Amino acid sequence: MTQITHEIKNQLVHIVTQKRYLDRKEELACYAYDAFWEEAMPHAVIFPETAVEVSRILKIASAHKIPVTARGAGTSLCSASVPVHHGIVLCFSKMDKIVEVNTADRYIIVQPGVINAEVQKALAPFGFFYPPDPGSMNIATIGGNIAQNAGGPRCLKYGVTMDYVLGMEVVLASGEIVNFGSRNVKDVTGYKLSSLFCGSEGTLGLVTRAILKVVPKPESVQTLMVTFRDLDDTAKAVSDIIGSGILPAAMELMDRFTLNAIEDSFGLGLDRTAEGTLLIEIDGIKEACEREMGKIIERLKANNALHIQESSNDADRERLWAARRSAYGVFAKLAPDIVSEDVTVPVSQVPEMVRRIKQITQSYNLTAGVLAHAGDGNMHPMIPADRNNTQEWSRVEKAFDEIFAAAADLGGTLSGEHGIGLAKARYLPLVMNQDSRNLMSRIKQAIDPAGILNPGKFV
Amino acid sequence: MNAPIKPLKNCGKCGLCLGACPVYKVLKEEQASPRARLQLIKAFENSTLEASPLLKELISKCLMCGSCALACPSGINHYEHFMDMRQKMVESQGEIPAIKSLIYLLSKESRIRMGAGVAKLGQKLAPRWLADKYRLGNIPINQFPRLNPTPFRKTVAATISPKGRKKGSLVYFTGCATHFLYADTGISTVGILTHLGYEVIIPRDQTCCGIPLMFHGAPAVENMMTNIKALCAHDCHGIVVDCTTCGAALKDEYPALIRKTMAKASPADQHTWKALKACARKIAAKTTDILSFIAAHRKELVFDENAPKLGPVAYHAPCHSRNSFKSQPLVQALLRNLPFMDYTPTPDEAECCGGGGTFFYEHPDIAKIMMESKRRHVTAVNARYWLTDCPVCRINLSGNLDKSGDIQVRHPVTLIHGALKKP
Repeated sequence: MTQITHEIKNQLVHIVTQKRYLDRKEELACYAYDAFWEEAMPHAVIFPETAVEVSRILKIASAHKIPVTARGAGTSLCSASVPVHHGIVLCFSKMDKIVEVNTADRYIIVQPGVINAEVQKALAPFGFFYPPDPGSMNIATIGGNIAQNAGGPRCLKYGVTMDYVLGMEVVLASGEIVNFGSRNVKDVTGYKLSSLFCGSEGTLGLVTRAILKVVPKPESVQTLMVTFRDLDDTAKAVSDIIGSGILPAAMELMDRFTLNAIEDSFGLGLDRTAEGTLLIEIDGIKEACEREMGKIIERLKANNALHIQESSNDADRERLWAARRSAYGVFAKLAPDIVSEDVTVPVSQVPEMVRRIKQITQSYNLTAGVLAHAGDGNMHPMIPADRNNTQEWSRVEKAFDEIFAAAADLGGTLSGEHGIGLAKARYLPLVMNQDSRNLMSRIKQAIDPAGILNPGKFV
Repeated sequence: MNAPIKPLKNCGKCGLCLGACPVYKVLKEEQASPRARLQLIKAFENSTLEASPLLKELISKCLMCGSCALACPSGINHYEHFMDMRQKMVESQGEIPAIKSLIYLLSKESRIRMGAGVAKLGQKLAPRWLADKYRLGNIPINQFPRLNPTPFRKTVAATISPKGRKKGSLVYFTGCATHFLYADTGISTVGILTHLGYEVIIPRDQTCCGIPLMFHGAPAVENMMTNIKALCAHDCHGIVVDCTTCGAALKDEYPALIRKTMAKASPADQHTWKALKACARKIAAKTTDILSFIAAHRKELVFDENAPKLGPVAYHAPCHSRNSFKSQPLVQALLRNLPFMDYTPTPDEAECCGGGGTFFYEHPDIAKIMMESKRRHVTAVNARYWLTDCPVCRINLSGNLDKSGDIQVRHPVTLIHGALKKP
């Protein structure tokens, strides 16, 4: 790959001005990482402010075969925004304008650098919200959410990012600026290309504007905190509730280790002795919620729930969720590194998957926590470890090899919401055969023939 | 902020601190984020990056508000790591002249007095056209507060008797701002405490808390020793500060500084340090900010029934009030329940104003953006008063309002004191 020569730099600076072009090593060091442990230094960091600027930058990058890695807030858990082949980091954080809020037509138009929480804030006065709610929603950008097809707890009921992208403006590696979709909730005009780009992790094109579907806020939200003596019962309660036809907004499972780590940090007064805890949230019309709640409690009791507690107010709910959202960070406190994956299995397999995760981590003598958006089978086995301890680290790697294989074996998949990036690229053959992977390569080849967009990742 | 310092390597780089950082929110640049500063410190410590003017700049482009540390799920104390790193950067890179002279002035009580004298002369002599035209940071010179005609501590007795029956005695640490700039805060603090039945002791030998020095990499050991000596000499029920930054020095920074200095001290000196540590602990445990104190004693305040209703009144929560004393909810409840005041919360009450010690001077462009939306919000609620319990915030808020004076920026104690029933 080409270095950025003095001449190329001048051309790039000419597009964005010196202020939005960084290439001193102290500054570059700040773009060598995201929330994954892998790091690599870029040669330059550029902050575009318009699609035209992005287009002109990509034309130059294509001409000189300079790698371009897109970045939002750098919260990727699979290394999606780390420039493993160096080159340019294109940081979209300054393209942070909300272009239009239109709740009458149920959409919002945003630039890619708008933070997920800002979208929620803009919609709240109208009584609307945008369902995808990744743990990093207070800082992660919509551009990153789209690139990774981000999920979150309430995606159980509402679906993931892809289900909310109505349309987008994308700049291709060639510099062409293309548009897919529209402001319409129903739109079957041509290929649904936004689904291709959503989740492409910056390998196919760079989103410069998105039209997102928004939905009215439910009139009532109720939250339950449930404890179990047995982790197996906890997981069975989940598949039982889903299997009986009830669809809560969220069902979060935490094992004892996770719960204790959270309790150490927040002191919420949770039951430290429970082997399994569920945080269940249902929303909708008040009367319907109450009926559903009754049914859920029935299922919980049938599965030997120890203690069922309804959260009494919004502040309580917010506290529980804040604690749940911080689980990743809480684990980070335990060791220098943390490996958190997001293998996903059909919900009926959740009890089996939890058992296997426990067995595998125990057999490698690792401390692990299990946390899951259990209602949709999205598991977060988390292992605190030290990368400098090579012996321990190799056990961690082996354990994850087996965890991914187990998920595939149960009809599951590699990633429910973080994406593949660098973290899971080598596991792709477990769930995609050679022909399927070749198809992805051919698509990549057709859209980004020089291979400049986020090289070194899964495709 | 008192927790033992977690090693840097425990930063999981999750990025949650970005959402808490006022500077990142304005710049949207990773290099201006707490996470980046931690990675830079890591790189400096393992020698992948050497000290440089740019590294120093990136480390100091920070308000030291401590919001990141509070948001960190990994329990990293960014604040202490930043403080250490600032010291290392100043040692290797030096400091800009304006800041250097500030540190020189603040590190000795006699110099503070001399500096204030010169400044007063300057304020008298500076021609109007010059004052109108020039700015210090993002604030026009002529919108800086006038110095107290006589430093506050010289205008009051060293021990002031309570009104009515004595409930106890309190030591009042006035800080430099009340002493030299905002005597009204001092008068009101004493007025309220004596109204509540407390004898107020104002140690004559107290000096600058030292936080401005620490932020600029000077260890401020001398300031700390002077203050510990001054405060420990009095038997009292509590130590009251009217500025939560000074309060953070007494409560958090002195014990931390002693811990660090002790580790490097010779065995012969350990005994002295141990004694000092015990004193510092006592002081830390007794320190309370005036608003939390008033909130706890609100029911004992007797208000003048004929006091005019003031309003609308907005509040700005300073960073050390939010993050070190965690007093914001208490203050909100206090203001809401004051009978003579129409407290009107603004949506960004807890957002940083950009003052940040000398941040407004060093990074006026960023500070200005932070101020802008706050100013819009207080104007939108037609606030007559804008209250804040930090003198730097007060300088910054009032310096950025227009000159018409429609909105008065005050320490909350001044309005509370004004509404008390006169004997």
